[in-house]
Amino acid sequence: MNLQIIHTNIIWANIIVSIKSFYREKTVVFFRIAFPVILILVFGTIFMERDNEIFELSIQDLDQTTSSEQLAAAIGLSKRFKITQVSPDADAKQYARDNKLNLIVIIPKNFEMSLIEKMADDNFETPVTLTKIYDPGSFGVTTKIGVLDMVLAKINQEMSGKPPLIASEPVSILKKKYRFIEFFVPGIIAMAVMTASLFGTVNVNAELLQKGVIRKLSTTPITRIDWILSNVLYQFILAVVSTAVMLLVSYAVFSVSLEINVWLVVFVALDVFAFVGLGMILTRVAREAESASAAADALMFPMMFLSGTFFPVEMMPEFLQTFARILPLYYVNEGLRAAMVAVDHAAALKSALIIGAFASVVFVFGIMITNLGGETT
Amino acid sequence: MTKNSEYAIEVNNLTKRYKDLSAVDNISFTVERGEVFALLGPNGAGKTTTVEILNTIRKPTSGKVILLGMDVTEKKYDIIPRIGVLPQGFSSFDRITVKETLQYYSRLFCRKKPDIQGLMKLVNLKDKAGVQYKNLSGGLKQRLGIAVALVNDPEIVFLDEPTTGLDPLARRAMWEVLWGLKKKGKTLFLTTHYMEEAEFLADTVAIVKKGKIFAMGSPGDLIESNADYLVVMLKSVDETVFDIVKKMGFSPGYDSHGDITVRLTHADDVRRILNAVRDGGASFTGLNVRKPNLEAVFLKLTDDTFLENFVGVEEAQ
Repeated sequence: MNLQIIHTNIIWANIIVSIKSFYREKTVVFFRIAFPVILILVFGTIFMERDNEIFELSIQDLDQTTSSEQLAAAIGLSKRFKITQVSPDADAKQYARDNKLNLIVIIPKNFEMSLIEKMADDNFETPVTLTKIYDPGSFGVTTKIGVLDMVLAKINQEMSGKPPLIASEPVSILKKKYRFIEFFVPGIIAMAVMTASLFGTVNVNAELLQKGVIRKLSTTPITRIDWILSNVLYQFILAVVSTAVMLLVSYAVFSVSLEINVWLVVFVALDVFAFVGLGMILTRVAREAESASAAADALMFPMMFLSGTFFPVEMMPEFLQTFARILPLYYVNEGLRAAMVAVDHAAALKSALIIGAFASVVFVFGIMITNLGGETT
Repeated sequence: MTKNSEYAIEVNNLTKRYKDLSAVDNISFTVERGEVFALLGPNGAGKTTTVEILNTIRKPTSGKVILLGMDVTEKKYDIIPRIGVLPQGFSSFDRITVKETLQYYSRLFCRKKPDIQGLMKLVNLKDKAGVQYKNLSGGLKQRLGIAVALVNDPEIVFLDEPTTGLDPLARRAMWEVLWGLKKKGKTLFLTTHYMEEAEFLADTVAIVKKGKIFAMGSPGDLIESNADYLVVMLKSVDETVFDIVKKMGFSPGYDSHGDITVRLTHADDVRRILNAVRDGGASFTGLNVRKPNLEAVFLKLTDDTFLENFVGVEEAQ
């Protein structure tokens, strides 16, 4: 194989054929362009809800006094809960099960009396206890209880008539206030470019290899560098289009506030280089289309879920966090977020260097083992 | 350095081994410019391995292959622009049309003004210019493969089993295309296991089996030197004809149509048989006397038991 020669006209011819093949295959267009957009729309809607979330809260008032009504009203006034009353006659646990409620707060009988007694005696050692009936299997209940405790703490402090001794003031490490969607979009861009580059390369190359098209190509002046560069540039063009569509939808629907700078192009390019190179290696090693696809799956899924695309790596156990840091997608995620959210150029550069080193190794190795003739030489 | 060789292809002691298996075993031959050379052999004879070494896809274990005066192992990228290849089971990009496929391969060969229309006309695909590859029939795909092999106006065209898997009509259409190339003076190197194809197209036929060349020459010479006998076929409803011929010392047999076949080494024996049948009071409804074709030569050389089975199988029973 002639390693020295790069033919721009051949690379261009390959890109034209690849793009025509792409847009004539409607399902491929859907998965490449529309699927990441759907992910953004679905998850974006969920996260938008969470950012301004008002929880449903059921209260069973067993006391039925002015004080218990005032407590329920005070919880409602916090603007974090929409209150629903549960009949005092109901069995709270059964009611929660029947109505699929994840939390019911019970104001006990004699609530008002106990409160008056404690205030009269100035006895604050043992509080009046509200009961929280909750469903531990519910995903959001922990957050809901946390918010409720915060609201109750504030009510307690106001009822004591004393200003708080200790207060806290949140100061973001970021320049602007960001919502979760703004953290999520760069992750989806990184993941979409990775999956498309890896799967696009593996599927197309394994199919062409199996059908004998690559064997035919080996009897033309095309070199393996021409072939791999064609794959990279084609995937890069699609990645740019796909990223632009994802960003446009994010701006139009969620009015995201993301920094668009040269780092975005750098990380998309490095993402493509790294995973097209990896795809070339898998195609060569696996040979059969099915096994190459399975190998791509095996690499892709851990990266999708453990690299911080859908949730922060910090949420995972320590050993998984360590594992995440050896995954190349982690650095694309980190780099894109540093560039687009935190606008931290030093952090972006650090991530770019790491993913760049990985991409270089994989790309060179991909060139070395790619053999258009299909014969081990 | 390129030397101006009189031969298009020179193969000397070519061997290709895969571990203990010799796919090609020390073969030598030459192909002149403008010649149509057919490598004829059963499946697994080493035809594809040979042609893939010649067209630079594979590397030989030993031996030398010179194409247009250049060594294939040293001058691959000088040779490639001057050859055209139709690999076995040609395939292309599913969603790309006939015209676009030819434009694509022309670009790979950096052809500034490719004659796409002329190529489509040559292989009779002009009315399919806008049809995507995946929607073409098997015969049309092969014809596109030929056109692709010609985009760089090659001096030598390699065709690996160009008509395998095609129906008889498509095969005939393909032969016409190849015949057109032959008339244009192209050097054609084809592998096939269709005897009729080799007999119809080739100037020289090399018969290969287990990686070795068993016989080589023009189809006429091969038939003359390997099958110097006649086959007489008697279409008869009279069973005594068989006994009469047998009593004369010949070894008659029945072919698949139930007709009597007899292999004769002298033309005079035809008259003797006809006289004996008449004298014996028997009759027949048809007579055919022919020289054996290349198929009989091929089967004789690649499977020695064939002719014994072909003539005389019924007698043995």
